[in-house]
Amino acid sequence: MRALTVTCFLALALGAGPAAAQDPAAGSAQGELSVTIYNGGQSLVQDIRQIGFPAGRSRQEFPDVSAQIRPQTVSFSAAGTAIVEQNFDYDLLSPNALMQKAVGEMVTLLRINPATGGETRERAKVLAVNGGVVLDNGGRIEILRDDGLPVRVIFDKIPPNLRAKPTLSITVESKSAGTRPATLSYLTGGLGWSADYVSLYDEKAGTIDVQGWVTLTNNTGTTFDRARTLLVAGTPSAAGMASYGGSYRPRAMPPGELRRAGTETAPREQLGDYYLYPLAERTTIANAQTKQVSFLDVAKVPAQKIYEYTVGGFDNMTEPASAASVIKFNSSAQGGLGDALPAGTVRFYQRDLRGDPQFIGESRIGHTPMGSELGLKTGDAFDVKVKATVVSRERRSDRIWRSSMSYLLTNARPQPVTVDLVQRGLDWYWDDTRIITESQKSERLDSDGTKWRVTVPANGEATITATFETRY
Amino acid sequence: MRRSLVPLLFFAVSPAAAQSVVTSTAPDSVSVSAFRDPGRGEGGEIDLDSLEGFALISEQRTIDLPAGESVLRFEGVAEGMVAVSAIVTGLPGGVVQKNRDTALLSPASLLDGSLGNRVHLRRTNRATGKVTEEDAFIRSGPDGAVVLRTAAGYEALRCSGLPETLTYDGVPKGLTAKPTLSVTTRSPNAQRVTVTLTYLSTGFDWASNYVARVAGDGKTLDLFAWLTVANSNGESFADANLSALAGTLNIEQDFDELVEPPPQPQLRLSCFPTGSGRYGIPPPPPPPPPPPAPMAGYDEIIVTAQRREAKLMEAPMAITVVDTAQLEDLGDLKLYRVPMRVTVAANAQKQVALLVKDKVPFRTVYRLRTCPTCEPKNESTEIVLRMENKESGNLGIPLPSGQVAVFEPALGEELLAGEGAMRDHAVGETVNLVIGESSQVLVTADNYYAPGKEGDDYRLTVTNANRFAVALELGFEIDDLKRVDSRLRKLPRKDGLPTWIVTVPANSSRTLDYRVKD
Repeated sequence: MRALTVTCFLALALGAGPAAAQDPAAGSAQGELSVTIYNGGQSLVQDIRQIGFPAGRSRQEFPDVSAQIRPQTVSFSAAGTAIVEQNFDYDLLSPNALMQKAVGEMVTLLRINPATGGETRERAKVLAVNGGVVLDNGGRIEILRDDGLPVRVIFDKIPPNLRAKPTLSITVESKSAGTRPATLSYLTGGLGWSADYVSLYDEKAGTIDVQGWVTLTNNTGTTFDRARTLLVAGTPSAAGMASYGGSYRPRAMPPGELRRAGTETAPREQLGDYYLYPLAERTTIANAQTKQVSFLDVAKVPAQKIYEYTVGGFDNMTEPASAASVIKFNSSAQGGLGDALPAGTVRFYQRDLRGDPQFIGESRIGHTPMGSELGLKTGDAFDVKVKATVVSRERRSDRIWRSSMSYLLTNARPQPVTVDLVQRGLDWYWDDTRIITESQKSERLDSDGTKWRVTVPANGEATITATFETRY
Repeated sequence: MRRSLVPLLFFAVSPAAAQSVVTSTAPDSVSVSAFRDPGRGEGGEIDLDSLEGFALISEQRTIDLPAGESVLRFEGVAEGMVAVSAIVTGLPGGVVQKNRDTALLSPASLLDGSLGNRVHLRRTNRATGKVTEEDAFIRSGPDGAVVLRTAAGYEALRCSGLPETLTYDGVPKGLTAKPTLSVTTRSPNAQRVTVTLTYLSTGFDWASNYVARVAGDGKTLDLFAWLTVANSNGESFADANLSALAGTLNIEQDFDELVEPPPQPQLRLSCFPTGSGRYGIPPPPPPPPPPPAPMAGYDEIIVTAQRREAKLMEAPMAITVVDTAQLEDLGDLKLYRVPMRVTVAANAQKQVALLVKDKVPFRTVYRLRTCPTCEPKNESTEIVLRMENKESGNLGIPLPSGQVAVFEPALGEELLAGEGAMRDHAVGETVNLVIGESSQVLVTADNYYAPGKEGDDYRLTVTNANRFAVALELGFEIDDLKRVDSRLRKLPRKDGLPTWIVTVPANSSRTLDYRVKD
């Protein structure tokens, strides 16, 4: 079908010569398309069209480009041609524009008598269009349709500047006449993608099966026919770059999803720092379409379920609070997912007793290098809770205080669980907080926090006690 | 007695009889010099929906002047004309006065201007279709309603329930279709003159748009720039001499306010109360039902991605242009002159080549700015493209502010590798373009606890997951240099900040230890 269209067009262009090329109707429609889609709703479209150039200067119009084209980003190249200028005209045809441009011109009025249906034809001059159309009807000044009676206004012509759609045109100087491929490339908004991960967690085996899907959305208003499609994991723009934060320290920051950044390179093509995800076949990206493409499918990746709770300061908790359920895994080649992960949402599923997968929570990740350690929170545990109590607080001297803390960890599940209990606020406002005694050796995370890894027996509880000495 | 006669004579003859009106409808030739939106940020883009820049328009018009005093009306000027900025030269008798007429011809002003005059009231009978016309005199202004004196007595327009309208015998004097500039001049004799009308107009803007194509070796790039000019006026300027000016001009007055015509009279007809009045004012009709929600076309196709084997057809992207704009210095501004005549169309954007510079050497640097105690956690770094705007760097030309799109070859195609904002760069400056952010080169700082050290030790780690080495510049904002130890104090300065400059090899990490006292 496409080949047929092209052939017809060629015959036309060759037969009619330069005149046809000047005719806007002779512009070719979409040619061979390549679409490169970035995160953040930005895309690069390359469109190779067969164009019959006359020798010398000619103006080529390009219909069927994306309706959300950023016209200032257009590039054009064809063998043996040089660009004179590029134009993007958006003076659009509308009844109001037609009337505005008719000021000072003659129009035909066709009055229809409401009772008899009789038609009267008159020629009138449009004097002004300011909140109403003032007409000069043979020396009699009147206002169009002032009395609400039907009057047809018939214009003699459409001003040449008014167009049906915004039109991209390029004036080129061609050395010789002939049909040649011409590459048009431009950036467009409205076409973007994100990643979605389906992660099936097997609690008994301690593994996850992960499928990564690319979700592609086209809201450009344009269908890209049989396009070679390439996805780029990255936003190649300085916009949205976070500026460095202030020097204050946020209190009791829960750990992020990315626990340790990796330094491995995924076995994929790269464009600078961005990974490329080409689609194997040409595909049609229809307008208002969401398309999903698989890019990752790994099974039996070791994963550990852990419960995490962070105590912000040395305060009493009057009610117990649920610990966060966190699934930990890594994206390493060894013992991990073995790929870089584009930003997206990871949805976790777990099989119920009947064997049907059920949704257990989701978590967002940023672009994650291969070799990273991740800890994704799926929700707050119903059965695993923590309650912190200030057992005693005493002043030892002018600047030294001592706080004894007791943490009660309860587990209502029929199997033992591991809880990472973190006490923060050790270096938030005061300095040099020391742990004087503790019932179990903790791991100092940084100057502000310390962590106990506590095993809580099935349907049981565990208690951790610690005494802190604070100076300020 | 004699002396008092002179002014009398003057009044009788001068204003109406001797002053003829000459209308110039279109220019013979026109020059457009576009200026950028002064409020736009550095490297910002044109907003086609609202062009906030302006242009200086200079038009040559041929006019047949009669002898004596005449009023010269200029039509076909840009609708965004700032009338107070208009200069008219080339009139043999000079300009006596300059007027901008903003009393517009509209239904309301037509009615207002016809107060007390005879108009015609045309009624149409809906049943028979018979049209009757009678003379009427307008007795009230357009504010609220129209009261007419007809042969039958006094009536209110359109309170009869019949289709009725007024027609007029002429347009009241002084009403124009659009705001119009007119000048009064006195010519010693009738002659054909060429006058130049120069004025500022709103509704224009321009920016440069750069395309940087990185060569295969990754060491040089070909820099190309478009001069992008847009016009949102309803007028087109055919075969114009176009130029664009870069630099910062002082603008004190809002041009848009000067252009906006004063509020025009509005025609609102309200009748005396009709009907029984028992139920008060009838409620307005209900709003129309909302349009049906568009169905999201969720057409799901599943394609399994693979690495593409076949090399794609080489898509040449090199932009070849006929000619580029010529640069002139205009005082402290830079003037870019388009070398041929072009048409600046209404509601259109146009691009002509601004500059072409090939084989410009550049470096890619990863950059982060932080503070010693900020403790970034896996923070992404800025990807900075650095060029020297010098002759030795194959550049050395003024670079006006605009967006830069950087293309790099990958998979046999030229793909967009980054976009950044370029500010105005004079010759000799270093160009640092932030073109994106890297999730492969991440920075983390931990304030770790060493017993007895009071928690002042920090370890900053940069990880590089790329299969190539990267150059990192990590700048520290330091409030109090006495609080940081010599490992930070002795760092070299870059852009004013003590900066840790390090090369991180492929697939590895580098650390920096330092101490900050509270």
